[in-house]
Order: sequence, then C-alpha cells, then structure tokens
Amino acid sequence: MLKRSMVGMLAGLMLFVTACSGTDHTGAGGDTDNGAAESGQVELRMMWWGDQKRADITNEALKVFQEKHPNIKIMGEFSPSSGYFDKLNTQLASGTAPDIFFLGGNVVDYAKKNVLLDLDPYVGSELNLDGMDPTMVEYGRLDGKLQHISAGANARGIVINQALFEKAGIPLPEPNWNWEDYAAVSKELSDKLGDGIFGTYNFTVDGMDIYLKQRGKQLYNMENGTLGFAKEDIQEWFQYWEETSSAGGVVTPEMQVSNPHDDTSKSLLITGKAAMSLLPSNQLAAFQSLTEDPLILHPVPRGPKGTGVVFESSQGLSGYANTKHPKEVAILMDFWINDPQAAKILGSDRGVPVTEANRNLLQEEAGPVEEIVYQYTSLVSEATKSEPFDVSYNPPGFAEFSKLAQTTSQEIGFGRKSVEQAVADFYNGTVRIFESNQ
Amino acid sequence: MRKLSKPLYGQQNKTAYLFLLPWLIGFFCLTLGPMIASLYLSMTKFNLLSSPTWTGLSNYVQIFTEDDTFLRSLWLTFYYVFLSVPLRLAFALLVAMALNKGIRGLGIYRTVYYIPSLLGGSVAIAIVWRQIFDGSGLVNQFLSWFGITGPSWIAHPDYVVYTIITLSVWQFGSAMVIFLAGLKQIPADLYEASGVDGAGKLRQFFGITLPMLSPVIFFNLIMSMINSFQAFTPAYVIGDGRGGPLDATMFYTLYLYLKGFSFFDMGYASALAWIMLVIIGVFTAIVFLTSKFWVFYGDNQEGR
Repeated sequence: MLKRSMVGMLAGLMLFVTACSGTDHTGAGGDTDNGAAESGQVELRMMWWGDQKRADITNEALKVFQEKHPNIKIMGEFSPSSGYFDKLNTQLASGTAPDIFFLGGNVVDYAKKNVLLDLDPYVGSELNLDGMDPTMVEYGRLDGKLQHISAGANARGIVINQALFEKAGIPLPEPNWNWEDYAAVSKELSDKLGDGIFGTYNFTVDGMDIYLKQRGKQLYNMENGTLGFAKEDIQEWFQYWEETSSAGGVVTPEMQVSNPHDDTSKSLLITGKAAMSLLPSNQLAAFQSLTEDPLILHPVPRGPKGTGVVFESSQGLSGYANTKHPKEVAILMDFWINDPQAAKILGSDRGVPVTEANRNLLQEEAGPVEEIVYQYTSLVSEATKSEPFDVSYNPPGFAEFSKLAQTTSQEIGFGRKSVEQAVADFYNGTVRIFESNQ
Repeated sequence: MRKLSKPLYGQQNKTAYLFLLPWLIGFFCLTLGPMIASLYLSMTKFNLLSSPTWTGLSNYVQIFTEDDTFLRSLWLTFYYVFLSVPLRLAFALLVAMALNKGIRGLGIYRTVYYIPSLLGGSVAIAIVWRQIFDGSGLVNQFLSWFGITGPSWIAHPDYVVYTIITLSVWQFGSAMVIFLAGLKQIPADLYEASGVDGAGKLRQFFGITLPMLSPVIFFNLIMSMINSFQAFTPAYVIGDGRGGPLDATMFYTLYLYLKGFSFFDMGYASALAWIMLVIIGVFTAIVFLTSKFWVFYGDNQEGR
C-alpha cells in the first residue's frame, strides 16, 4: 500500500513537472511582440552605470528624446559601476540584455564575443557620424565592424587639491615634471601636512598603461593580438610605487582599501586627506561639486617618450546584437552624440562631447570647473601633436586582469611579497588570463 | 507490534512527503534542470556568451593543480565555517537559555533577537556593518575612549574576516528560536530531581540540558554549516566585491561568482560549484555518521 501511494505521488509529481516545463515552452513561444511592432510603438531598454547625478541627467535627456520620437519609449536602468558589468554579463548570457548599453575600455571583451550590434548599415541614414572626430569613430571599429559609439572623450591627468598644497606651503609643480619629482613632491606633502594626510593615492593599476606608453610599450597590442609588455617593463613601475610608499608619500594600503579613489562618496581627495591622484578629466566636476577645496588638473609626470596621455574615449554606447529594434538603437545613438539639447543636458559628465559642434556649444557656457577641464584636454590635444601616442584598448579578460593587478599592488603594499616575487606572479597570471580570453 | 507499526509508519511518511511537496516541486521544476546543466558546463569551456566547447575534466584538473586562488578561498571558507558555526550556536544557546528563565515579554525578546537573522543576509546590514567596523567607525570610536587606536577592521586583510564572522554570529536568531523550543521540551522534573540529588547548575547543563537538546543541536549544526559554506553577501559587500583586500574576502562562493559572471569563465565556475557540493555533502555526511555517538532521541526505540 505504501509502495502504491508512493508511486502515485511520484507519478503526480512527474505530471506536474511536465506541466510546468510545458508552460515554459508555450510562454517562450507566445512571447513575441509583434503586437507592439504593428502598432508602431517601440520600447527600448537602456542601461548605464554611475551615480544619482548621472542618472538624473540621463533620464532628462531620454525624456527629450522621447518627446522628439513619440513612437519610441525608453526604459532606463542603471547601477553603480561596481556591479554593472556582472549584471550586464548575466543578462547577455540569458538573452535578456538591454537593447543599448554603455561600455568602457572593456569593449574589446564584448566585441570578441560577438554580442554587439554591427552599426555600419545605419551609418549615414539613422546614425550621422559626420560631425564626430574621425579618431573617435575609428575607436569604435573593432574586428572591422563599427560596434561602439564613443559618448564622450577625456584625458587622464593628475588632480591636485590646491588647498593642501597651500597648507603645506609647496608651490604647484612644473608642468613638465617627471616621476622622480612626483615622488619627491608626494613625500614633501606627507611630511609637511602631518599625520593622516598623504601626498598621493597609489595608482599602480590605473596608471599602468600610461607608464608603459611613456616607454614605448602598451598593455595590449591589438594589431598583433599580443600582450604589449614584458615582465621587466612592468617591474620598475611596481618598484617605483613600493619606494614612494616606503618613503611615506603614498596613502596607506588600508586607507586605499576603505576609501577607494574613484568612489566620490569616500575619496580622500574630497575629504582633504590626499593631495594628488590620477583622474579622468570627466570626473573633475563630480569631485569638485563635493568639496570646497579648489581642485585642478595637472599634466601627468613625464617618461622618456612624453606623458603617454591621449585624448581618448571614456565610455560609449553599444547595441545588443539580438535587439529587435536596431534602427531605433541607431536613432538613439545619433541623438546622443549630435543633438545640441542632449549635449547641454548631459554636459561633460561622461567626457567632452565627441562632435566639434557640441564641444563649441558647451564651451560657450562653461563654468569654472569645465573651464579647467577644457584647458587641460586642449593641452593634451596640443601635446599629442608633437608627441603622438596610439589610442589604446584594454586587453581581453580585463576584469580579471585588473583584479590581479590590484591584488599584486596590495601584496606589495601589505608586505606579503617582495616586488620581484609579486611581479613574477603577476606576469604569469597576466599571460594565463590573456591566453584563456583569446 | 510489528503489524501495528508499519501502516503507521507509512502514514507518517505520507504526511512527510505532503509537507515536502512544495520543496520537491521547486526542486524538480526549478533546481534540477540547472543543476544538470551546470554538471555539463563544468566539463566545458564556456565564456558565457559563446556556445560551450567540451573539454572533459580539464577544468577540474586546472582547479586542483594550478589554481592558488582556489586553495586560498577554500581555506578561508573553512576557516570561516569552523569559527563562525560553533560561535554562533554557542551564542544562540546562551541567549536561548537566558530567555528560557521565564522572563516577562518573552514574545517581544524572541522577535527582537530573531530579526537579525532575517536581516543578516541582506545587503543593507552588510553596509551598516561596514560603517560600524570602518577605520573611523563606531567600534574604533568606542576603543578610542580607552586610548586604543583600532585598525580599519574592514580594510586590513588580517582582520576583515573577523568582521564577517561577527556579522554571522550576530545572526544567531533562527538557531536561538529553535533552541528555545527545544529547551521548553525538556521536562522540568529532570531538573527538580537532579536538584534534589544535589547537582549544581553546571552539572545540570552538561548532564541534562545538552543531551536532551542534542537533536536540536544536531539540526542547527547541519543547517548552520550548510549556510556558512555558502556565505556570499557579507563577503561581497563588506569586502570590495572582488575578494579584496588581498583575497581576504575571497570566499568560495564569491570566487565562483567572479569566475562565472565577471571573468567569463562559466565552465570553470560550474566545476567549482560541483566541488563545493561534494565538500558540503562530505561534511554533512560526517556529522550524520558521528551523530549516533552524541545525539540522543528521547523517544526512540532503544529508549535512550
């Protein structure tokens, strides 16, 4: 009797299982939005990362877009940068990715996996790129296909908290300083400002590609599909930071961990505990809006071949390869880079506009902070005329690579490994990551 | 005797299956498919976005032979489980015994102490924890009254795991509620009789409370252990979400998550998941096998 009831129950269960998987099938089959397309109403999902301020202006711009294109409705989603790519990856894997989304320097990783929409068919019709700088357009061409439209350009520079320099009684450094000067100034700042205030953040990870370029190397050689540096090239860089840290000029590893430099709510630059760091120019306004201390951008210390800094895409838009509405995606991209109203709303939060027309438009109305940013970026543009550097791409597997680089920097910082050992492990790890992401 | 008990047994089983039915439905409809899929994926190279390619056992080989992070994260997770589970259970039992003293407003206390275990796994609490244990947080302000300058408990690789363990111990609520129910089941005459015979409080605790409570301890131990092996949120939020600083928050589940969703290596992550399943299975089996030496059921046939 027991057996029979067990069998009955199991049979019932199996029935139920088939029943629920059955619903799944009909659910997927019935889920076509022919209805929506027929009525002419199109709905796009868009995703970006950033803080609340960026979300506000992005939504405002999207509102204007929808007024101009009443048949397109945009559903915006955003998340902080830390979880953004995990979320995007999950959605891409499950086929539920947004129709249009932002990518940064890791665009290579996505282009290699063929998940981005080929935009070439729409150029000239829905998507007008005539006003966009040719180098910026080219930046989005990966594997011969246009897959990415830069939404803003920036140049990295050394952000300086002027109030701390004044307090320490140190004059602003020369514009053509080198890394030795940088270490010396950092130490002097730490010494004069006293306990708990430091000269500079440790930007081993973020500044790595700049340092390599200053020596004629790069992180990733995209043309040959190889790593652009050898172990010896990177060893000096880690060594430099080890020495500068030991001298006392650099934020302690603990503070660096609990106050990440790129987190505006915690950055020590804003709280007046660190005087210098490496910063992409588009972030200056966000940083300045949170502190009374005047912040300025200063050129990056020079290496043998110059500063290594270029005017480059800070982030941009890509479409999802499986979007049902590629045309509308192209229309939205066109609006994003060309529309003057959009440019005014968006400002330079994601970087300086990529079309000259919009750049001029914003420059006319620039406030004091934007003025600093424009001065700095034009300085960089001028400098690259005499000291040209290639625009660079992040190597494939960038998320894992940057995690490894950060761990390496911390292993040295917390004294767990010697520089030699840490760099050897770092380079081996880099090669492994690079190969497994080909 | 035998004739009588068998149909009764069947009756009990049926009721048990009826209560298990929602879980069984969930398991067969939702969990089983992905589990089988992940077993397949664990033997492939799958970058999440292109279709997987069969590689046999190479993921497993790589995990066991060349992956230092795997070993480190495994060690960290063991460390966390073996420290946090006993601490949490001891703490839960302590509070349960205090609440079992027949104080007024027991319902309120029970609720108040239970709340942390509802909230404990949440992101919001982990963020609060960050604030409390940060360099200039509450804990260090308290320490500074005694002239102690505490480190940043969440930023130093040597201390951050203890911050996470503290959070886990603080979620003693659900274990406590079960202990409390177990304590109420212990007949008061056992204590009275032993009291007459001159047994002290300590003797009563080890001679009566612990043995009588052993089935409940057994249950709590299994549940806490399985949960702790799978701890994710506190490590993700209290750390930097990337296992940092210095892999000090690289719990096994976090490593698995990063490999799968951030580093585009879902095949590898699936292999990691199956290894974790085996580990949890082994530990649960060990507890079950040893249970006959230390768990006493008052109502079983032998009448122990």
